[in-house]
Amino acid sequence: MSQAADAKRLAGRASLYFGALVIAVYSAFPIYWMIASSFRPAREMLTNPSLIPHTITFDNYHNLLAQTDYLRQFANSSIVALSTVLLTMVLSIMIAYGVTRQRMRGKQIIISGMLYAYMFPPLLLAIPLFSMLNSIGLTDTLFSLVISHLTITMPLGVWFLWGFFKTMPFELEEAAMVDGCSRLGAFLRVVLPLSVPGLVTVAIFAFLLSWTDYTFALVMIGSDANKTVPLGLASMVGAFDLRWGDIMAGSTLIALPLFVAFIALSRYFVQGLTAGAVKG
Amino acid sequence: MTRWLLPGFLFVGALATLILIVGPALYAISLSFYEQQSLTADPIWVGLNNYATVLGSAEFWNALGNGFFYAGVAILLQVVLGIGFALLLHQSFRGRTLLRGLAFLPYLLPTVVAVLTFKWMIDGSLGIVTILVDDLGLPPIYWFETESAAMMSVILVSVWLWTPFVTTTFLAGLQTVPVQLYEAARVDGAGPIRRFFHVTLPMLRPILTVIILLRGVWMFNKFDIIWLTTGGGPLGATEHLPVLAYRQAFTLFDIGNGAATATLSFLVLMVIVTLYFWLFPMDEKK
Repeated sequence: MSQAADAKRLAGRASLYFGALVIAVYSAFPIYWMIASSFRPAREMLTNPSLIPHTITFDNYHNLLAQTDYLRQFANSSIVALSTVLLTMVLSIMIAYGVTRQRMRGKQIIISGMLYAYMFPPLLLAIPLFSMLNSIGLTDTLFSLVISHLTITMPLGVWFLWGFFKTMPFELEEAAMVDGCSRLGAFLRVVLPLSVPGLVTVAIFAFLLSWTDYTFALVMIGSDANKTVPLGLASMVGAFDLRWGDIMAGSTLIALPLFVAFIALSRYFVQGLTAGAVKG
Repeated sequence: MTRWLLPGFLFVGALATLILIVGPALYAISLSFYEQQSLTADPIWVGLNNYATVLGSAEFWNALGNGFFYAGVAILLQVVLGIGFALLLHQSFRGRTLLRGLAFLPYLLPTVVAVLTFKWMIDGSLGIVTILVDDLGLPPIYWFETESAAMMSVILVSVWLWTPFVTTTFLAGLQTVPVQLYEAARVDGAGPIRRFFHVTLPMLRPILTVIILLRGVWMFNKFDIIWLTTGGGPLGATEHLPVLAYRQAFTLFDIGNGAATATLSFLVLMVIVTLYFWLFPMDEKK
């Protein structure tokens, strides 16, 4: 190969790696900075913005847990997110399976209805939900948040699982029923186990939406005791003189479960995104 | 049991849909025809009065314009940046898998966390970006203080958070384009730029149509990021329809106007989506 072609190839590689570096810094630096700041001693925060903290401290975490309601908020967030995931799974499996397997008129309406529900501005749902729940005295409860989150996670669950069940041949269940399974047995023992990848994807995105939600929590929750982490973190900014170390510690802790889930299950994240199963 | 399983499933499903989606949506529309002085007061039927009030206010049109600007610019940047990132991540190089993971990370963050981290980085005296700008001898940037800067800052954070959606979906699409097409184009003497415009883009047009539609709908409806960064300010410069609806319903306690604004914003969205479907028919039904 000629020298000119070699040089051109080399320049190509160099610019490729340079581009890769730009993407890495752009995407990851703010996240790195959040984590690094959470471990920095307060003194160092004020004077020394070195790239790597000189000393590592858990003070910020200690302050966060000792002086704020963080643990309580974390528990609230967990209860809401897990309940949302569970109910989303149950409801969307039932609807999606029913719609794909039952011969009936107007099926298309249900499915396109779910698609329109996708486009609802969150506030078009939050305002009436607040009004309704308020009239029966249920606002400012974790239950009201689960209901609100379901309005978004259920349509996406149905939409995604509908695509999933649709491709699953009906002969599978027929064979199981010929072998003596009941309809329910065929569903539980044949269809569900084969749908695990789809179910995992729905669970992940239902969790992600519920765990990260701020809008519905802002509308529904008023008392400190029922705040979720996003709401609690946002109110920390106004609450006392900006203690960025504590705030970054709280941010790191709430992001951590999502990062762990992503590392373990990245395949399903990509699958969910490409199927358009997400809102956000 | 066997006979009733599917109808049972559908019955539960219909009930859930009614309670969770149809009910609230209809209730929102009905709220927009009433005036309610407080949350406990009896609502009074006022017909289209709320709509007249909302449509007659400068706030509404300001919010509508801001919403179009915000969503439009944010989508454009996300799509351009996302496609660029995807093209690079599609090349083969060492550490590619790791970089694909890193490029996805912002998407996982709760909006609150992204906003707080951004605010920490631009903190007036201690923020790393502020210090960097100062060290470079540049004048200080007033991120949220002036009207035009506030809008650009909100867009910047939005683009950072949601570009990974475009990157990931476009990258998945790139992997489905047959290599032979590129080889054929290369044999015909097409350079990388022409290969992109004459092979990649036409092949990925259906995916791109869906990406732009979904991102557009979500950016138009997005509430939390603007509320958390600027609250719609300064002087309404970043207030769009969701923030206006929230402010009317929950800070001014005018549920009727809030519901009317939310309903109008949904109508506007439906018109745009219908137009979009008409301009870019989805030949490939997903």
